Amino acid sequence: MIHWYSIFSLVSAMICAPFLKGVIARTKAILSGRMGASVFQPYFDLWRIFQKKSVYSKTTSWIFKTGPVIYFVTILIALFFLPLGNLPAILQFQGDFIVLIYLLGLGRFFMVIAALDTGSSFEGMGASREVFFAFFAEIILFLCFITLSLLTKVLSLAEIHFILSDGLWLNTGVVLFLVVVALFVVFLIENSRIPFDDPNTHLELTMIHEVMILDHSGPELGLILYASQLKVWIFGLILLGIAVPFDPQVGVFNVVVVMAGMILLSLIVGVIESVTARLKLFKISQFLIGAMTISMLALILALGGR
Amino acid sequence: MVHLLEVIFVLVMLNNQMLLSSSRLVYCIKLVAFQGVILSLIPIILAHQGITLHVLCFATIVFVLKGIIFPKLLLRALRVADVKREVEPIIGFTSSALLGILILGLSFWISSKYTNIETAINFLTLPTALYTILVGLFLIICRKKALMQVVGYLVLENGIYIFGVALLKEIPLLIEIGVLLDIFVAIFVMGIATYHISQEFETTDVDQLNTLRG
Amino acid sequence: MGYEDLLVVMLFVTFSFVLVCQIIRNEKHILSFLWIGVMIVCILAALVVFAVLKEGPLFSCGQRLYVDAFSVYHLAILMIVFLMSSIYANNYFQEEIDSGIFNIKVARRFGTLWFVSLAAMMLVLISNDLGIMWVGMETTTLVTAFLICPYRKKKALEAMWKYLIVCSVGIALAFMGTIIIAASAHKLFSSSTDMFLWTHLHRFGYLLNPGLVKLGFLFIIVGYGTKVGLAPMHTWLPDAHSQAPTPVSAVFSGFMLNTALYCILRYVLLVDTALGSTTFTHGLLIFFGLASILIAASFIPYQHDLKRVLAYSSVEHLGIITLGFGLGALGAVAALFHMFNHSVCKTLTFFCAGRIGRIYKTFDMNTIRGAIHVSPLWGAGLLACALALIGVVPFALFMSELLVVRAAISSGAWIPLGLFLAGITIVFAGVLHHVTELVWGNPQVQLENLYRTSFIEKGMIIVSLGVLIILGLWMPMSFKVVLEHAAQFMN
Repeated sequence: MIHWYSIFSLVSAMICAPFLKGVIARTKAILSGRMGASVFQPYFDLWRIFQKKSVYSKTTSWIFKTGPVIYFVTILIALFFLPLGNLPAILQFQGDFIVLIYLLGLGRFFMVIAALDTGSSFEGMGASREVFFAFFAEIILFLCFITLSLLTKVLSLAEIHFILSDGLWLNTGVVLFLVVVALFVVFLIENSRIPFDDPNTHLELTMIHEVMILDHSGPELGLILYASQLKVWIFGLILLGIAVPFDPQVGVFNVVVVMAGMILLSLIVGVIESVTARLKLFKISQFLIGAMTISMLALILALGGR
Repeated sequence: MVHLLEVIFVLVMLNNQMLLSSSRLVYCIKLVAFQGVILSLIPIILAHQGITLHVLCFATIVFVLKGIIFPKLLLRALRVADVKREVEPIIGFTSSALLGILILGLSFWISSKYTNIETAINFLTLPTALYTILVGLFLIICRKKALMQVVGYLVLENGIYIFGVALLKEIPLLIEIGVLLDIFVAIFVMGIATYHISQEFETTDVDQLNTLRG
Repeated sequence: MGYEDLLVVMLFVTFSFVLVCQIIRNEKHILSFLWIGVMIVCILAALVVFAVLKEGPLFSCGQRLYVDAFSVYHLAILMIVFLMSSIYANNYFQEEIDSGIFNIKVARRFGTLWFVSLAAMMLVLISNDLGIMWVGMETTTLVTAFLICPYRKKKALEAMWKYLIVCSVGIALAFMGTIIIAASAHKLFSSSTDMFLWTHLHRFGYLLNPGLVKLGFLFIIVGYGTKVGLAPMHTWLPDAHSQAPTPVSAVFSGFMLNTALYCILRYVLLVDTALGSTTFTHGLLIFFGLASILIAASFIPYQHDLKRVLAYSSVEHLGIITLGFGLGALGAVAALFHMFNHSVCKTLTFFCAGRIGRIYKTFDMNTIRGAIHVSPLWGAGLLACALALIGVVPFALFMSELLVVRAAISSGAWIPLGLFLAGITIVFAGVLHHVTELVWGNPQVQLENLYRTSFIEKGMIIVSLGVLIILGLWMPMSFKVVLEHAAQFMN
């Protein structure tokens, strides 16, 4: 089913995503005691980067050039599956969340091989770490979606959001709470936030995602940055759709609620980033296993409840 | 009110998971204390004839004993034995956490075979009970420090308490008090024994107690 | 004051002796008080025994306490074992008192724990409430833990820790079994207090849920079986019995194991009534009994420590008793007779072994040689007791084992019979080999029997051995009646 009027959700995602990054950066700045850049700074950054020319290393091949493009395109298509409040998603069918996860996986794959393509061990290290953590993140994501499908008895992301109402929260609140916690952890790791990765640093010890994109420049870099911001939007929307129950009576007001929720989420992430430090790499895997056990617990509880 | 029970049981399950993957003994003792405290709420929630003085007294006794006195005894034993962390056990911490999830699945599966028990209060009661009992046994078998074995024993007794709640409407007060008294003496004795062991063997690593064989 | 109140008085008196122990100032006086106090409780218990045998079962304390012929038989054995051990303990700690290890603090603790364990075991035997029975069992575990190591020694500590953990887990499992069996009475709609009363459950046994009862009994036999020392849950037994001081080992082997078996047997009666047939319980009893006999048989030949051999022998004999109970009515009589014989004999054997260990200053069987030359009384005593234990003819244990064989034949249990005979043959060979090495041969060093054996101890050994021989040859009518009375309650 294709709903054309949901193009608004796609457009709003593309417009508002950089804004969220600005909010996070501004929150961190204010909590550090600085004024910080304006919340619209990411837009200017993107504009500036797109103006520049790309520089390619002699050791790279066509993979290096196409990696970012494919990454961006997969994220864009993934946006098609997200509903926005009242509006259904553009594409909606049973099992679409599997396609969503695999699209993200595809994008990640091309980013990784583009990083490996540079032949630098620096990027290779970042790529291997990224894949290691993505392994856990994808398992948690799958387990959470399966739990949600068990609870709502549908297999489409948009419909899950639609059906998750107040009633369901009251009945199965505990399971949903566990799912939200697990998904929040996934949100943090997929978007390379502290406590898993520091998006601002360029030191070898602390980089995971940043180090992968070290060699890109010009419009490709712009595409990658923009795609990362869209990923924040995607995961934030998935999380919000579960955490904030959907009330069909309110209509268009839902969109406003969603926007407010995203900004709130960005504020929370900013606070967390300012307050915690990055975990040691060994601890990250333990933390992720903890999140995995929480999602498995949610799944077993949902199974046991039938 | 049934949902409050669900929250309690899920908290107990999460508690058990954290116990399985934690290596710091003080943290483990605090986790067991927390478990005891949330379990002391169960008689109040399940009070059939309203919250009488009887029920309140019992809940208070459980709270004080399991939440305050047992942890104090254990922390004192910890201090005199001068022990801080668990050594890497037979089954590593990460594997224990994953094994914990398997055990959880197992307890749910076993409980599904006994759905004819009419007195089960909530569908989560029996699985939580079995899970807690199995985690307690696991801690006793697989941990090397004597105090972790005592913590495992406490978890086992908590699990049996939930088991009693699952199967019986009400256990007579005399028996409950007797059981609590016994656990108190048990923890007391085990604490003293740990102290003696630490003085005599200069370690509380139970693996070192291996001269008697055959 | 009726006979019912005697039960409460008995418990009360035992507890009050604990307080008396606290006021005595001299270690030797505490040890003397041990046997005086136990003697007083013995008299009270004897009164209870006669009352029950004359008038039938007694209730007390609002149905919470209950004694019938079965419990009274065990009570009698308990008092005999405790009395003998208290008399022995009087002289046993002489050396430690002189060297100062057994100071007043240790003595007070020993006395307190001694009386509390006596009270707890009595409580288990006379309790009608299954929950209180459990509380009593757990108390015996905790209290006797510190009896195992009155003064700090490495091996004793290790044995104590193993004992604590294994038995606590076992008893926790037994509590699960108790809960399940109480839950199986859900059709009875009884009040919460009645749900745990043995007499109540026994009367309405046919209404109990069979599936739950079976599951509960499985937990009970594994849980309490840990305390009995049934294989494969016996792992704490050799360590605890060998490292404890001899009077404590005697009490352990002589009676504490029987207490746990008593609990299992009470549940066997319930389960048989609920299921309407005895195949389930008897199958389990035979299984665990045989497992204990065979495992003990496989370990005994390889032992180095004298008391460990005796500990494994306890495992074997408790296995024989359990097997006997699993073989029907004749088997129950045989098992009860064997209980009495084993308790008396094992207590004596530990006494002799303890004295010999004192003289040679070690229990290592490679070093002890020529015990009969060094100390004729204790050496010969050890030989006689060991022969009695393995079932040599004039002693009563031979008769009880023969009865078990007859019971097996009459119920057609051929495979258990074969395994049983194989097991006791191996034990026969193993123990005989060990003991003959100890008793004869040349003592390497000239050792002195430092402490004179008191007249009472000499009397104790000779009289008890005499009783065992007499019972082996001829069973007095009154004793037979008592046995059958007690066995009646098994079916």
